[in-house]
Amino acid sequence: MRKLLYILLAGALLLPSCAGNIEPSESLDSLPPMEPDYSFVTVPRNIAPLNFSYNGDEECALKVDGKTIRGKKGLFSLSERLWKKLMEKDEVEMTVLVRQDGAWKAYRPFKIYIKEEIDPYISYRLIPPGYQGWQKMGIYQRDLTSYTQRAILTNDLTGGNCMNCHTTAGGDPSKSVFHVRAAFGGTMLINEGHIEKLNTKTDSTISALVYPYWHPSGDLIAFSVNKTLQAFYNHDPNRIEVYDLASDVVVYDVRSHEITWSPLTKQEDRFETFPTFSPDGKWLYFCSAQAVTEMPREHRKVRYGLYRIAFNAENLSFGDQLECLYDAPAEGFSVSFPRISPDGRFLCFTRHDYGNFSIWHHDADLWMMDLQTGEKWPMEAANSPDVDSFHSWSTNGRWMVFSSRRDDGLYTRPYITYINEQGEASKPFLLPQKDPKAFYKRLMESFNLPAFMTAPLEMSKHRIVTEIRESSGVDVQVKN
Amino acid sequence: MIDRFALAFREQQQLFLFDKTYLVQSLFTVGGLATLSGRFFVQFFWNPTLAVLITLALLGLGAWLLWVSLRDKRAQWPILPLCLIPFAFLAASLSENAMHFSVLTAWLIALTALFAYTRIRSGRLVWGFLLTIVVYLTVGPAALLFAVCAAIVDGWKKRWASALLVPVALLCGLAACLLGWTPTLTSALTPAFYFDLDAQMNAAHWIPWVLLPLTVLVGCAVKDLKIKRLPLFGCCAILLIIAFVPAFKVAKNAEDRQAGLTYEYEYYVANENWDGLIKCCLSKDWIPHTVQYLNLALSWKGGMVDNMFKYDQRGPDGLIKNSDDRGVETTQAHIMFAMGNVAAAQDVAFNTLYSTEGFCPAMLKINAQVELMRGTYAIADKYLSILEKAPHYRRWAKEQKRFLYNDKALEADPILGTGRRSWPKLEGFSMFGSPLEELMRVVDANPGNAQARDYAFAYLLLAKDIKSVTGVVSRYFGQEGFDSLPVPVQEAVLFYSEYTRNVDGADALGPEWCAAHGVTEGTFRRFQKFQDESLKSGGKAPKGYNSSYWYYLLYKQI
Repeated sequence: MRKLLYILLAGALLLPSCAGNIEPSESLDSLPPMEPDYSFVTVPRNIAPLNFSYNGDEECALKVDGKTIRGKKGLFSLSERLWKKLMEKDEVEMTVLVRQDGAWKAYRPFKIYIKEEIDPYISYRLIPPGYQGWQKMGIYQRDLTSYTQRAILTNDLTGGNCMNCHTTAGGDPSKSVFHVRAAFGGTMLINEGHIEKLNTKTDSTISALVYPYWHPSGDLIAFSVNKTLQAFYNHDPNRIEVYDLASDVVVYDVRSHEITWSPLTKQEDRFETFPTFSPDGKWLYFCSAQAVTEMPREHRKVRYGLYRIAFNAENLSFGDQLECLYDAPAEGFSVSFPRISPDGRFLCFTRHDYGNFSIWHHDADLWMMDLQTGEKWPMEAANSPDVDSFHSWSTNGRWMVFSSRRDDGLYTRPYITYINEQGEASKPFLLPQKDPKAFYKRLMESFNLPAFMTAPLEMSKHRIVTEIRESSGVDVQVKN
Repeated sequence: MIDRFALAFREQQQLFLFDKTYLVQSLFTVGGLATLSGRFFVQFFWNPTLAVLITLALLGLGAWLLWVSLRDKRAQWPILPLCLIPFAFLAASLSENAMHFSVLTAWLIALTALFAYTRIRSGRLVWGFLLTIVVYLTVGPAALLFAVCAAIVDGWKKRWASALLVPVALLCGLAACLLGWTPTLTSALTPAFYFDLDAQMNAAHWIPWVLLPLTVLVGCAVKDLKIKRLPLFGCCAILLIIAFVPAFKVAKNAEDRQAGLTYEYEYYVANENWDGLIKCCLSKDWIPHTVQYLNLALSWKGGMVDNMFKYDQRGPDGLIKNSDDRGVETTQAHIMFAMGNVAAAQDVAFNTLYSTEGFCPAMLKINAQVELMRGTYAIADKYLSILEKAPHYRRWAKEQKRFLYNDKALEADPILGTGRRSWPKLEGFSMFGSPLEELMRVVDANPGNAQARDYAFAYLLLAKDIKSVTGVVSRYFGQEGFDSLPVPVQEAVLFYSEYTRNVDGADALGPEWCAAHGVTEGTFRRFQKFQDESLKSGGKAPKGYNSSYWYYLLYKQI
């Protein structure tokens, strides 16, 4: 009797998800309306299940790999076991079935393509999208193989201040840097189990250090220094403009707490920003624009081109000339966020009409440049009609995570795209969630600066918070 | 001691949602149950009377829980007044809005645990450990109160082992700090846990936390004293009455610390109760911002310019707070919204929305409306869907949802349609120029926007810039939706016309021009009479014109 009860109970539990075999009586000549749109996306083998919702009120089911899964209020929850089995293949076909007028009908099937594995973690900041007010923000790490998100640091632990620009050295979280502002302000540098707070404003630089990028040696970080302001448009669909009154690029030596620069990265009549080292560490790339005198009146005239300068990590010396890789202003465009693939062949950047803060520019798109040939092209499969901006390469160079506002035009979401050997992108997929439709609709924060990590950051929040709150910080000096 | 409007203000600092994700996320934080239950009660505070009743009921429930935890066969009702003392001070502590309402629910949960603990007969210590940990996880440092009170109750009966509950609670706090759940050990173990992150907590907030265990101690002690019930009750009641004096003082000090906040005005603004706001402004002594609230209410009631000179106006500052204040300011957002400067309204509303402990419902409403005006329906849908999960805002959100992806219905709506037609044609940054400059951009885009036009006229009239008033009339009168002039504007135009006739070199505007631009026969007659009486009065203000613009123009110092 007890055995029978267990069987009945197990049956009752399984009932909502397994529907038995449903044979559709009719085929519909369109793809199903679904959220997120995961049709024909390419995913890494180790990604968490891509649950999605059918955007309709009818009873629905999903056919995949000979199994039929019932939709619960439209949501298809794929079990981990089934997903793992599916991910062993090269591609998976899925068919959404709906019950209309008493009969089951099948939408046109779609495929999901499966490629090599991805770095298992990404980090990002969750913040209100722009503007100036916030109560809560934090830097988080997300396990891509599951739905688990853990806070690295939240600002309720540090007096409600702003924290930003978290960056790891080539995806290695044991070498990380981020800034905290206001009462406990400083730049926090995590270096293989050690944490220190830096006071990075010097008499010779216009601001504290801002946008970072680690040198492959792990001993140096390139930073921009920026005098940045923000203004709210009275009608423009871009809503907000973030612009620099001045900016330069410098290099910080982690070992000596010193910064240095070249006269060519700190020119009076130019705005230099968004530095990036080449994977061999021999070049420093950055964006540079002709300065204007009247900001914000002339902000639409500021357009950044892509430049590089030779760099010697041994003696921290720079080359004596700048090389322009892409004179975007000559074409009426501006570029931001140059990021080079780990093999050094491709450079991905964001292109937009003007300025440097592309997350507020609906015209912003991702572009790829072949550094061997100088050829460049828009990453059409990855781009959308809305903002596609900040991006980060995976350590194997096959995946890229980037910020996109394609879903609602305001709240930034992380999308992941596959990059093939020719540097071409595939249709990207939205970061999976257990119930992505409900999750993203409810979430009132933007994902800011998504970047891959090879492992989670293991340093305890308490240790980070103690250093932030209690350390007076090390004063950064200018190298003589 | 309990300001009902200060309580109502709390309702605008949060948004309780009947949403699984919200509930689960809130619960899975230290003190999550206290926060969630606190927010549950505060959601009803949109009604200030209900806010007071709920608060009093919860405070009373707390005192009752304390009493039932202390009572036994020997002493019952006489110590009830004693149990009210810590709650009198807790009420005083709640007078400062930086002290979260969750402190009260945390106490209630801790006292419920204390009551349960006192009823446990076997395995009391193990249950005590478990309760301490569970209470800490669900309500935070109030668990320390539970542990101390439980230790006192047991200690009085010589069950000394229960003293171990206190180190368990302390260890919970230490663990919370080390695990990064709280910023410091202080916040993990003290009332600071329930206080605003960036605010300085006054020492007076400690009083109820000290009094609660003290009350338990006294409660235990008096039970052993052989005092008759009536005298005991009398002593406890006298103690309570005496305690009310310092409690009132603590509450008063807390109110003084936030004296800049005008909770009553804010309440009427947040709830868009414009009649209530007018009544409130007129029934109290004016503070510096009263006139701005009054003008805002007049604007939403319609006919602001027609009515504003009935009241004591003192220049254009009476329309807007600080024109470049982009900070946390619900009224500023409402004023900008009324002015038709919806980009600026959204800028301020968005900052305010995200700067509260939860989400400010009034600011979420403004943001939803601006997104509808923009036609960015996905974002509007997001905000409206969230508001739909809050019972008090459900109906409003559902009503607004009918405009989603329905441009025709939206453009026919008096607020949303007018807003959509009023986006400035000339692109620029909001809140960079003067308020008048931005107002004129809205009027230029849509002269039919009566509220924006009224604000523009009001600004010019209050600045005594009658030349510009006439300029606006000259430029826009007769356009769609602008076929009559408010009386003060007529008065200004007529005065300017008379002035130009008497000044050499000025382009005189004759009576025909005035009549063709909305000045009525009645205003002409009154002006003639005003001129005659002014001549007779020998430089003094003629009687019966105090509500006229002429009086403001000639006799009011700004």
